[in-house]
Amino acid sequence: MKHTAKSTASGNGRPSKAEKNGKNGRITPASRFYGLPLPGVNVQELSGSLIVVEGTDGSGRSTQISLLTEWLESQGFAVQTMGLRRSFLVGEDIDNLLAENAVTRLTLALMYSTDFFDQLERRILPALRSGLIVLADRYIFTLIARAAVRGIGRDYLHGIYEFALRPDLTFWLNVRPEVAFDREFKKAQTVSYWESGRDMSLSNDLFQSFIRYQSMIKREFEYLSKRHGFIELDGEESVSGVNRVLRKRIASHLGIRGTYYKPSHALSQLWR
Amino acid sequence: MATVTPDHLATTLPAPEKAIAAKREYAGALVVVEGIDGSGKSTQLYLLKRWLEIGGYRIHFTEWNSSPLVKSATRRGKQRRLLTPTTFSLLHAADFADRCERQILPLLNGGYLVLADRYVYTAFARDAARGLPPHWLRNLYSFAPVPDITFYFRAPLDVAVNRITAGRPKLKYYEAGMDLGISLDRAESFRIFQERILNNYDQMTETDHFVLMDGTMRVNKLQKLMRELLGDRIDLAQFAPKKKR
Repeated sequence: MKHTAKSTASGNGRPSKAEKNGKNGRITPASRFYGLPLPGVNVQELSGSLIVVEGTDGSGRSTQISLLTEWLESQGFAVQTMGLRRSFLVGEDIDNLLAENAVTRLTLALMYSTDFFDQLERRILPALRSGLIVLADRYIFTLIARAAVRGIGRDYLHGIYEFALRPDLTFWLNVRPEVAFDREFKKAQTVSYWESGRDMSLSNDLFQSFIRYQSMIKREFEYLSKRHGFIELDGEESVSGVNRVLRKRIASHLGIRGTYYKPSHALSQLWR
Repeated sequence: MATVTPDHLATTLPAPEKAIAAKREYAGALVVVEGIDGSGKSTQLYLLKRWLEIGGYRIHFTEWNSSPLVKSATRRGKQRRLLTPTTFSLLHAADFADRCERQILPLLNGGYLVLADRYVYTAFARDAARGLPPHWLRNLYSFAPVPDITFYFRAPLDVAVNRITAGRPKLKYYEAGMDLGISLDRAESFRIFQERILNNYDQMTETDHFVLMDGTMRVNKLQKLMRELLGDRIDLAQFAPKKKR
């Protein structure tokens, strides 16, 4: 773990109430947003925690989110999840745009930002006000990386997401593009048009296109990781090994003592 | 690669004045009309368009909120009142980006005179009236080309509001700014919302080099003035029909 999230820089100890309230100057209410807070949001009310898991397709992200949800619920924490294209407002519209492949890069980036803020304002902020743990299956970082590799300015993108809530913890499941390819191929017998960056005309060969595109995304993530203090994990490790590290970090953030966890029968097939 | 600045992203934003990229590499020209509802801007742009059309000029007319791509989302959001100031703004930006990338920029590059009924200033004035910070809006629309001329049609609030309310039995929810909870009375809410927008336009007049047009002037006189001002600013000959040899 090279980088430690800024907001948890106090180390492994659980954040005290004073720290949460910003009395020691670390987590001030203002620092919960990147820039100005969203209009109409009182940061003092947000008592829940936002935990982000980032990583490309094939990094094991969704598996880990399922396992973490079960573990947190078993510990008595209520969990809300968010992800890409899950907003009621435009989630379906983006699906249609992607299917038709009739959209320019900027429009798509802005539709994704609409999708993101609709979820944030209408689902995530209410959940955080109620003290829930929000597990985000990807966050603004994927959206910034995807748009940036397509030539949209990084500062422009960070400007749009200035209103986004700063996560309490951001994990990056880092895997080599070749490994992601193997895993995705095994799962679906092909790799998706967008995850291979086929719109960018990188190569007519699907494998080459996938590797080049994911390498570009990975470079963006390396930059974002430095800028935002990701907790980088080796996504090529076993599911149980990655999960153990995630549980440890989350437990210390939330003040959970024991980190023992064995998946239920329903999820046991994920435990490799 | 941009320099790594770990924190406080707001400091990396361009200053509002410079946020709209001043790229002037295209052969065409962009003419914009702005103003609150009822200021007379659409009537005047229509007349300008007819004049240029009849003269055989290479023009294209585009209006705010007309891209089919995001229409269903906009409609759904408005009908079910799902939109917050942020998502309202982003959805309109997506709509404008689509129009910009697929119509406005290709046409400007292709040497057209593009006439726009409302432009990014509508978003600046209206979304700021909904509480969004101006620097955020300036950044959001920083991909838009700067107009060659922006006519700002200004009518006193009462005149503009009466023009709208007289012809329309019921104001729409977002149009009246009902989402802001200013007033439960739609007409009242509309008036206050329009007043805020008017103030925001007024503030941009100097910074964004608007050409101020008196919306209370007689229609034909105002149109004559508009044509003169356009001719002063833009070399219309380059858009005129090519003479046959």
